[in-house]
Amino acid sequence: MVKRIASLILSILWMLTCVSRATIDDAYSFAMEAAHPYVKEGFAVRSDYWGGDLPVKRTKAIVHQLFKGNEYWFWMGSDTQAAKISVHVYDSDGNLAEVEAWQKPHMAAARVIPKRTGSYYLMVEIEKSPEERTHWSLVYGFR
Amino acid sequence: MKRAQEPVISGLISPSRLGFLKRKQVSARVGGAEPGDGRGCLRVTALGRAVSRAAVCSALVLACLGLAESGLHGADAPPAKIDIGTLPAQAQAIEDVVVPIPSEVFGVLDKLGKPQWADVLRTTKSGVKPTGGAEQTALILGTVIAEGFIAVEAESAEDVKRIGKSVLSLSEAIGVKKAVQRRSQSIVEAADHKDWARVRRELDGALMDVKGAMSELRSDELSQLVSLGGWLRGTEALTMVVGRKFSKEGAELLHQPVLLEHFKRRIAAMKEKRQTRLVDLVQKGLEEIRPLMAGADGVEVSEKTVLEIGQIAERLVKAIQSKGN
Repeated sequence: MVKRIASLILSILWMLTCVSRATIDDAYSFAMEAAHPYVKEGFAVRSDYWGGDLPVKRTKAIVHQLFKGNEYWFWMGSDTQAAKISVHVYDSDGNLAEVEAWQKPHMAAARVIPKRTGSYYLMVEIEKSPEERTHWSLVYGFR
Repeated sequence: MKRAQEPVISGLISPSRLGFLKRKQVSARVGGAEPGDGRGCLRVTALGRAVSRAAVCSALVLACLGLAESGLHGADAPPAKIDIGTLPAQAQAIEDVVVPIPSEVFGVLDKLGKPQWADVLRTTKSGVKPTGGAEQTALILGTVIAEGFIAVEAESAEDVKRIGKSVLSLSEAIGVKKAVQRRSQSIVEAADHKDWARVRRELDGALMDVKGAMSELRSDELSQLVSLGGWLRGTEALTMVVGRKFSKEGAELLHQPVLLEHFKRRIAAMKEKRQTRLVDLVQKGLEEIRPLMAGADGVEVSEKTVLEIGQIAERLVKAIQSKGN
C-alpha cells in the first residue's frame, strides 16, 4: 500500500515536472516562431535561450554581451495566449537602447544596433496575464 | 528558473528548424529525451503541443483581424532611462549568461575589413586526440570547435573535416560521442560541399549537442569548460586579427565584462575534483585578463592591451592543448 502511494506521488511529481517543461518548451517555440520571419532577412538565430516564469507586473533583468557592428533582435514568447508581455533593452548606463520594438499577443520583440560593445540589460515583463505565474522564453538573433 | 543552469554554448538555428511548431526537437533537448523514444516528457509535451496549436491559431486569427499588433512607443512606452544600480530585488539580473559563439564576433571583423583567416587558423596534419583528464579534454574540445569556426572563415575544407573528426574523438573521451556522431558526419559532408553556412550551423549544433548530453550526464561543469575553452581560443583569434591590423572598432570587441564575470563565477563554483592544476591555471589567467577586458563600457581598448590579452590567451590555449596537463 505504502509502495503504491509512494509511486503515485512520484508519478504526479514527474508529470508536474514534465508539464512545467512543456510550458517552457511552448514559450520557447513561440519565441522561435516570432523569430522565424527574420531568418529570411539574414538573422542567425541562436538556439540557446533564457526562460522561466514570472507573476504579472514583475520585471526580470538579463545581462547580455552585445558587439558593436552587429544588429540584434530579441524575441520573447509565452505559452499563455492571453498574456501581454514585453522585452526592452537598456545599455549599461540605463538608457533605452532599442531602435524598434513590437508587442503581439503572447509575443514581443526588440531590435538593437549597439552603439558600443559591452553589457546590455534585457528587461522582460509579463504586463498582463490570467495566470498567477506566466512562462516566458527569450531568444535572440544577429546579423 | 526552469532552464538549464548553464546555457552557455548554443547553436544557430537552421531555417528548416525554425519551422512552425518544431516542438519535438525542443522537447527532446529540454526534457532530455530523444524524439520518439517514448519517455515521459514527450507524452506530456504532446499535450502541450495540442494546447499550443490552439494558441497559435488564436494568435493568427487575431493577427489577421489586425487587432494584435501594437507599436512600441505608444501608451505602453518603456521608460527612456532606468537606474540599473537600483533595480528592485525581484528584478535583479538572472545568473544565466549566453556566451556568444565565435561567428558572432568574427562577423563583425569581416565587416571591418578582410581578415586573413588562414593566418590565424592553426592547422594540424592529424586530428586532435584527447589527453589528460576529462577537464582537459573538455577544454580542448572547446578550443577545437572554436578552431572549426576559424577554419570556416578561412574556407579550409580539409581543416574543417579534420576538426569534425577531432570533435568526435574528443566527445568519445568524455562519453558524449553518440550525441555528436551525426553532427560530425554533417560537418564533414558540408565541408566537402564547401557549404560554409551549413558547417557553421553544424558546429554550433555540435556544441549544443555536447552540452545537452553532458547535462544529461550531470556533467554541467565539464560543459562549462568546453565553453571556456572555446571562448579562450576565440579571444586569442580575435586578438590575432586585431593585432595585425589595429583598429579601435576591432579592439572594442574585446570589451567583454559580462563574460569574464560569468566564467569567474562558474569556475569558483566548481566542485573540488574539477579544480585541477590546469583549471587553476586557466582561472589565474582569467584574473590577469579581467582588468584588461572588463573596464567600463565605452573605454577604448589600446593596441598594447590587445597584445597583452593575446599573450595571455595564447599561453592558456597552449597549456590546454599540451599533453597530460
